[in-house]
Amino acid sequence: MSCSNLTMLVSSKPSISDASNLSFRSVLNPFQLLSQNSPSCSPSRSSVTPVQCGLRELRTRIESVKNTQKITEAMKLVAAAKVRRAQEAVVNGRPFSETLVEVLYNINEQLQTEDIDVPLTKVRPVKKVALVVCTGDRGLCGGFNNNIIKKAEKRIAELKDLGLDYTIISVGKKGNSYFLRRPYIPVDRFLEGGTLPTAKEAQAIADDAFSLFISEEVDKVELLYTKFVSLVKSDPVIHTLLPLSPKGEICDINGNCVDAADDEFFRLTTKEGKLTVERDSVRTKTEDYSPILEFEQDPVQILDALLPLYLNSQVLRALQESLASELAARMSAMSSATDNAVELKKNLSIIYNRERQAKITGEILEIVAGANALQ
Amino acid sequence: MTLNLCVLTPNRIVWDSEVKEIILSTNSGQIGVLPNHAPIATAVDIGILRIRLNDQWVTMALMGGFARIGNNKITILVNDAEKSSDIDPEEAQQTLEIAEANLSKAEGKRQLIEANLSLRRARTRVEAINMLSQ
Repeated sequence: MSCSNLTMLVSSKPSISDASNLSFRSVLNPFQLLSQNSPSCSPSRSSVTPVQCGLRELRTRIESVKNTQKITEAMKLVAAAKVRRAQEAVVNGRPFSETLVEVLYNINEQLQTEDIDVPLTKVRPVKKVALVVCTGDRGLCGGFNNNIIKKAEKRIAELKDLGLDYTIISVGKKGNSYFLRRPYIPVDRFLEGGTLPTAKEAQAIADDAFSLFISEEVDKVELLYTKFVSLVKSDPVIHTLLPLSPKGEICDINGNCVDAADDEFFRLTTKEGKLTVERDSVRTKTEDYSPILEFEQDPVQILDALLPLYLNSQVLRALQESLASELAARMSAMSSATDNAVELKKNLSIIYNRERQAKITGEILEIVAGANALQ
Repeated sequence: MTLNLCVLTPNRIVWDSEVKEIILSTNSGQIGVLPNHAPIATAVDIGILRIRLNDQWVTMALMGGFARIGNNKITILVNDAEKSSDIDPEEAQQTLEIAEANLSKAEGKRQLIEANLSLRRARTRVEAINMLSQ
């Protein structure tokens, strides 16, 4: 078996055109088809079906594939139900962010002429960057965790090239275990997420980022999460969390800023009988507020109170979107696993039936031959 | 004439109904709000919010934020809010003790800031329960 594997490796390498080599390869190809995964015995018709002799083994194999199929299908349905809940959580958070944006706008309008100096918006020359990486807790979600981690590694390499120091705040068990195994990456703190991100967890992360920034240990905090684009597509993105822009704009790593009033939210709906996701872009109404509104404290103090709220809601939104993309990735991974299981079961059943019929035919032949011999 | 009170946190609406009066802790002290209050905007400190509905007071622990008082409409945006009836007394006491221990262990500017914040929050929660029992 190992021998045949070796020869397969040789044949798949791009070889220099040599007459002997070509003939070597052509001889090997049929063997490649036959012995792909099989440990022994009978050849099979299709190129990818693994084969085992023995009716009993085939039967147990079919049973186990059937059970696996049940599990993957159940996981897919559970993930679909959870996406709905995640979506509801996003919808529940909208009144907060809408009101916050309205108030932010109004205050900024009234402070246009003044010089605001809030510590959270101070832009310092960057020497050290903190990266908040949001991963998932469980596996079996396709390439979700891998994509985020790859993006984090890419960003770390970029920062190293620029000569900047960095530290990581890892959220989620998968990211935690990845960074634990790599002690050469400085990690500030490991946090675990729950099943549904709550304001408390977002606050813990925001507190950490806040204290790192205020104590001037880092000069920039970036948030790394997966944006939920559609059920089959999700993008890891990097957003600058701190320093905040006083107008409440959300800035991308490349400096593309999106106005805070332009909010996008996604909806899980059905279109033509299939589950799809629609993203709607909604702009919050920012009407002029009554000018008689008095500030109880200094406008700067009020801004000081508003911006951490904004920070919190940003972090929470990132966590929610991350969760939604993880669930969508799990849905599609489990769905293709179920399809594979169905096909595998079909192939195995065909082989099982053939074996069974061959055995019966053999027995009949024996009986007939024996009967003939007696005559 | 009653006030309409809305307490919002980033992940849910904690309170949305009519009340008679509220007492709010701000950075510059406590303010009481009755119907037809002048419109003001204020920052809310980590502290207690007391709500009066028909001679019954409800206490809520707020974790800092912002409040806007308009024409008989109050909107409070906070990081987190907990009704005192939802807080477990023993758990709150334990959290307070842990926070105090952390503060005494804290070194460096950053840990001090964090420890201070969590201590204030734990203290508010315990106060909310104590006020309920009064």
